[in-house]
Amino acid sequence: MAISREVFVLDNGAYTAKVGISNSEHPRVIPNCIMKAKSERRRPFVGDQLEDCRDASGLFYILPFQKGYLVNWDVQKNVWDYIFSKECCPANFSETPLVVTEPYFNFPSIQEAMTEIFFEEYECKSLLRINAGDLSCYNYKKKNPGTLCCLLVDSGYSFTHVVPYIKGKKLKQGIRRIDVGGKMLTNHLKEIISYRQLHVMDETHVMNQVKEDACFVSQNFFRDMDIARKRDKENTIARDYVLPDFTTLRRGYVRSIDPVDKAGESEQQQILRLNNERFTVPEIMFHPSDLGISQMGIPEAICHSIGVCPVEAQPHLYANILLTGGCSLFPGFRERVEAEVRSRAPDDLDVQVTLPANPVTYAWHGGALLGQDSEFSNMTVSREEYEEEGHSLCFEKFDI
Amino acid sequence: MASARESGRLKDANQKRILDEAARRRRMRKALEALEQDNFHDDPHADLVMSKKVPKFQETLESRGGRRKKARSAEYYKQRFRKTFAQLVEEDQNYNPDPPNYMSAQAPPSKVPERHFCAVCGFTSNYKCIPCGARYCSVEALRRADHPPKESYRMCKI
Ligand SMILES: Nc1ncnc2c1ncn2[C@@H]1O[C@H](COP(=O)(O)OP(=O)(O)O)[C@@H](O)[C@H]1O
Ligand SMILES: [Zn+2]
Repeated sequence: MAISREVFVLDNGAYTAKVGISNSEHPRVIPNCIMKAKSERRRPFVGDQLEDCRDASGLFYILPFQKGYLVNWDVQKNVWDYIFSKECCPANFSETPLVVTEPYFNFPSIQEAMTEIFFEEYECKSLLRINAGDLSCYNYKKKNPGTLCCLLVDSGYSFTHVVPYIKGKKLKQGIRRIDVGGKMLTNHLKEIISYRQLHVMDETHVMNQVKEDACFVSQNFFRDMDIARKRDKENTIARDYVLPDFTTLRRGYVRSIDPVDKAGESEQQQILRLNNERFTVPEIMFHPSDLGISQMGIPEAICHSIGVCPVEAQPHLYANILLTGGCSLFPGFRERVEAEVRSRAPDDLDVQVTLPANPVTYAWHGGALLGQDSEFSNMTVSREEYEEEGHSLCFEKFDI
Repeated sequence: MASARESGRLKDANQKRILDEAARRRRMRKALEALEQDNFHDDPHADLVMSKKVPKFQETLESRGGRRKKARSAEYYKQRFRKTFAQLVEEDQNYNPDPPNYMSAQAPPSKVPERHFCAVCGFTSNYKCIPCGARYCSVEALRRADHPPKESYRMCKI
């Protein structure tokens, strides 16, 4: 049964906050950080105010999250104050219930701080704290009625989680965390480029764009290594990346390698030559041990996680693997996950991997849908209840 | 006599290897910590205090609902919820020692054999520096890396 109810959904990621009222078509995606630019002495940039920044070279980041958990509350409060303000995404928490996301196994004292700040500072009328993955799974269930299970993979900024959901409920013993996310990939790319050709250690913002624009997940790692070793036309992997100079070019772009150097043009431009970097960087999600991290890669962790689930649920989990999070946007990601899980799974089981049209906002949309559920009001805690029963009620009701 | 000297030398060699092993592990940990860093350079405007630069927010907060109490400052929340990540993990170990929890959710080591790549160019490596364990694809790469220091050149093909 669906109810028409507006809720405010805040999927509070370590990289971006996905925010908006449930009746909007899409959430706003706001960088969850404060930035300082070398070129701008007068002000820091909060969230998407970065769009006002002319020269985004050498950006300095101040982040609320560390290793995926909220620890810098002053930074977070500044960003939230901006997000909820008229300038960004005005919220009326005294009337509209708030759905806010937290990471798996969020620490109890962070949970208490969340409850406190939303009831006491932002004066919420009613609150639902929930894992972003629960919202994604809810969205998947609504889109695919009749599915009993879902194996969620969330590859975000700080880490990757693999989580089995059985009849809409997560099986906590099955949750696996791989400590590789988009932040590590960008930092690694920065390091190898700085070592091999140009010092870019201070250019996190630009190198993150290089990563998003140029990297891909290989379908055959050693074959691609061989191709990348070839010269000239035979090397179909090498590309040039034209770096932004923030006067004539605000954003860099990938370009095929031009054998005839157009005189003049390249004198002005600073160029990175990208070769095996294009696929060895995302490869870390599949082989964390390439960087010395002794953890399983994503496909192995998927099978490991499914392995601890009840046998009767396993076929349903293999058939409903759902990819979310920004890192699932690398070209080839879905195909590689599917091929590797296929080769590891029992032959008689069907393996299907779904990549939604927008894996970054998928959880937000799930939250917007959940607000319409007739069960929704039983899931929330109201301010009166909080004032009477305090944190214990929240720990009871919110399964984080 | 002789055998005592012999075993002393053996002990030295063992100790050296263990030290190398510890040094390698330390280096690895440092490398992984570097991959967690938010910034490599210093704050270009460390004097810029963000809460002072955002008067607009205060305004919007106060206009909300009229009867609103004065909003608490960001600094208040910084002091109120001051815990480092390491403290949080430790606290969780005491508060919530039985799995499933943050620690137990960590993906276990892979069963797939490790792969090794050239520290210079990223291609498959055929050589290894014995003292430090770094891998290289060729003697050429090694020279480019200016590594290891000349006097300890001891490479083996692997
Ligand atoms: N098109 C893309 N290709 C590769 N990585 C991407 C792409 N878009 C975003 N990302 C990466 O995804 C990460 C953020 O993912 P997201 O799920 O939004 O994180 P979080 O929820 O942790 O804030 C960032 O590291 C970002 O660089
Ligand atoms: Zn090499």
